[in-house]
Amino acid sequence: MARFAGGKAPFLRISDQPNQGTGIIMRDFMIGLAPVILFSWYKNGIQVMIDGNIGFFEMLYPLIFILLGGLMSLIMEGITLYIIHPDSRSLKGVMAKLSTSYPMVPGLLLAMVLPLYTPVWVLIFGCFMGTVVGKMLFGGFGHNIFNPALIGYLTIAVTLTGVINAAGGVFNASEVLVDSYAGATPLTLLSRIKELDYDKLVAPYGTLWNFFLGTIPGALAETGALAILVSYGWLVYRKVIKWFTPLIYVGTVFVLSWFIGIASGEPGIWFPLYSILSGGLMFGAVFMATEPVTTPRNPLGKVVFALFLGVFTVLFRYISTLPEGVATSIVFLNIFTMPIDNWTAVIRARGIKKQTAIKASVFAVLFIALVLYAILKAGSMYTAFIQGPIGIGGWF
Amino acid sequence: MLFRKIKGVRIEGNKQMSRCAPLRDYLDPPVVSIPLLQGMSALKPAVEVGANVKIGDIIAYREGFGAMPIHASIAGKVTAIKKVWHASGRMVEAVEIENDHSGALSDSIQPEKNPDGLDKEALIQKMIDAGLSGLGGAGFPTYIKYQTKCPIDTVIINAIECEPYLTCDFLMSIKYPEKLVKGLHYFMKAAGAEKGVIAYKAYNQAVEDAVKPYLERFPGITTFPLKDVYPAGWEKYVTEAVTGKTYPKLPSQVGVIVNNAGTAIAYADMVENNIPLIARNITITGEGITNPQNFYVPFGTKVAELVALCGGYQEGLDPKYAWYIAGGPMTGKAILIDDLVVNDTLGAVIVIPTPKEKLHPECLGCGKCADACPAFLTPTEIKRAYDMKDETAIRNLQADKCIACGLCSYVCPSHIEITDAVVKARDSLKKGA
Repeated sequence: MARFAGGKAPFLRISDQPNQGTGIIMRDFMIGLAPVILFSWYKNGIQVMIDGNIGFFEMLYPLIFILLGGLMSLIMEGITLYIIHPDSRSLKGVMAKLSTSYPMVPGLLLAMVLPLYTPVWVLIFGCFMGTVVGKMLFGGFGHNIFNPALIGYLTIAVTLTGVINAAGGVFNASEVLVDSYAGATPLTLLSRIKELDYDKLVAPYGTLWNFFLGTIPGALAETGALAILVSYGWLVYRKVIKWFTPLIYVGTVFVLSWFIGIASGEPGIWFPLYSILSGGLMFGAVFMATEPVTTPRNPLGKVVFALFLGVFTVLFRYISTLPEGVATSIVFLNIFTMPIDNWTAVIRARGIKKQTAIKASVFAVLFIALVLYAILKAGSMYTAFIQGPIGIGGWF
Repeated sequence: MLFRKIKGVRIEGNKQMSRCAPLRDYLDPPVVSIPLLQGMSALKPAVEVGANVKIGDIIAYREGFGAMPIHASIAGKVTAIKKVWHASGRMVEAVEIENDHSGALSDSIQPEKNPDGLDKEALIQKMIDAGLSGLGGAGFPTYIKYQTKCPIDTVIINAIECEPYLTCDFLMSIKYPEKLVKGLHYFMKAAGAEKGVIAYKAYNQAVEDAVKPYLERFPGITTFPLKDVYPAGWEKYVTEAVTGKTYPKLPSQVGVIVNNAGTAIAYADMVENNIPLIARNITITGEGITNPQNFYVPFGTKVAELVALCGGYQEGLDPKYAWYIAGGPMTGKAILIDDLVVNDTLGAVIVIPTPKEKLHPECLGCGKCADACPAFLTPTEIKRAYDMKDETAIRNLQADKCIACGLCSYVCPSHIEITDAVVKARDSLKKGA
């Protein structure tokens, strides 16, 4: 007779195998960030140096800036753990905690969505808001309700945009010399001129091809659609993210923008393409809307979440005064992650039956109402087409 | 419907260890202890201590749901009724019989003169008399499936064995293909079904090769290969794959009955020779076993004897850092003391060293568990509802549909005992109801 170890079924676990588990998922996520970071370095550093506008050390600055974000967030999480967690009063304890809480991620993501010439103290402030307020005060990794990086970003966007613009803003040393940019990114331009006109919106930045490659002004890493697509491929291949979440999100914005374009008398395909390629949409869809902790767990929930993200992004982007709607809509919908998850879990377990029909129809009605509102409202903002002859626009 | 197709997960099978060794008969153990527990119901003993029994004599009755007799698996003297370790992880009462090695058969074990002349009622009566319960692992009394009022058109033999490590059904199927096909033939008659299907895993081509020569004699029987995923052996998955139909509760609702391969082989013996259910196949395997093998043994045999026949535990195996698992590695139970007896649901005993301890982070909410769940549940939500003791939420989330397949814990990258939480939530509903 021998006494054996106790345990719970199943006795086989993927996480027990070498090269598996959450650590590997996060490693793959970091690798997925690499193409975007490298592109941003190329666009804001190497290319500018080749143009002869900056020297060698300034060329390294974008890379250092992004890595600094990660480092800052790591340090702040370490300090917070030291203060609030009794097990972490030694360096070893802090390191053990940090090894399973992936502290670099919020800072890296935050630095990537900030303009190039953001003062470093603003970045540090953002990291503080993201890591300490957005993540640690909720209980740390796995407990936060809002996307930490976006909490940091929104705080900065609301309070310190003027400081950033005064320091140089999004324009790198080469872009600042281009007259046609007129000191505006595509989306600020749109919110300024309120008119859907290819010659005014796209032509200053070249063609849509430039939008796709990312050689347009914008925050550090958000412009390179191509690089983001490469990351998307890698993350899907490694099963870090679900393939459909970014696709549905971007697809919803695409379709809605098209309708808005049609409603305002601009049926060209360029406007929906312009919508999904400008601003942080692609970046947000791939890296933020798929962030596991703050988005629904079950696949149906992810679909519903992505659909609503699309609508709210359009609403915030075209109707509010803020030019950028991605961050706001993701943080806003993070609040509803739990109810969406719960309701969709019930719907998914039962199928659409009598008991779940109400829940399903609440989603459907809300979605359709928001879509209609977005089309009519945004459509009426850009042209007199609806406001004038039909007169619906005035109702909203 | 979108998102409602059972995908399954491919799991490394580890079957090669015990696959190549032939199925060994070990029918004459010195002593057996037949546990007085089947499924959830305790059995009532029908013999006194000191009585002499022959093989096939009734020693106990199952009462209430699925009432049927239980038979002696060897001939000899009843020496005691005492507690033994059972595969459910608890100690239960068992009838201990000491073998007199006479091999005397009960009077009821006679060859049936005209097995093909038996009608539906007689065939079902034979299941009851023989105490036939499913040998797949759930131990559901077989005759209850056949007493259904729904019209049955297909009987599926489940030779899939989707759990890793297990090989005994596969070896049974290729050793007794004729009995397998005959058993299915009688099952079809008992159900009044037109079609019979033998479902096997696609890489087990040997099963099809073995049964093929017998298919001509029994019309209506076909074979069906299934993908190598877990849980391909789940009734619902098999039914959906074979017939394309899905059912809410029981397969008979879509005219299907699913039986295990071992059950069919036992049933062929029952119909033709009136041998009751007294033996089963079992795999003894795992990295901790010197020479993994499969056995055909009477109920009540001590597993320790089988392990000894396999050459004992691997040298250097520290029991403190090894699991002794009754059943498959996905759904089985860790038994603390290696003093187990074979019962009707024990398909395997697996001894594997425990994996190295790792530091695991908290749930990051990746949703892989919800993705993998074959019943389309969301384990994270059920766990949350269970932690909050919210019974309505647990019920709304359909925790009762959980089949405890273990996939959610298997795929979890953070090593969370999520299957355990969901099963507890499910069982809390049953207690409440």
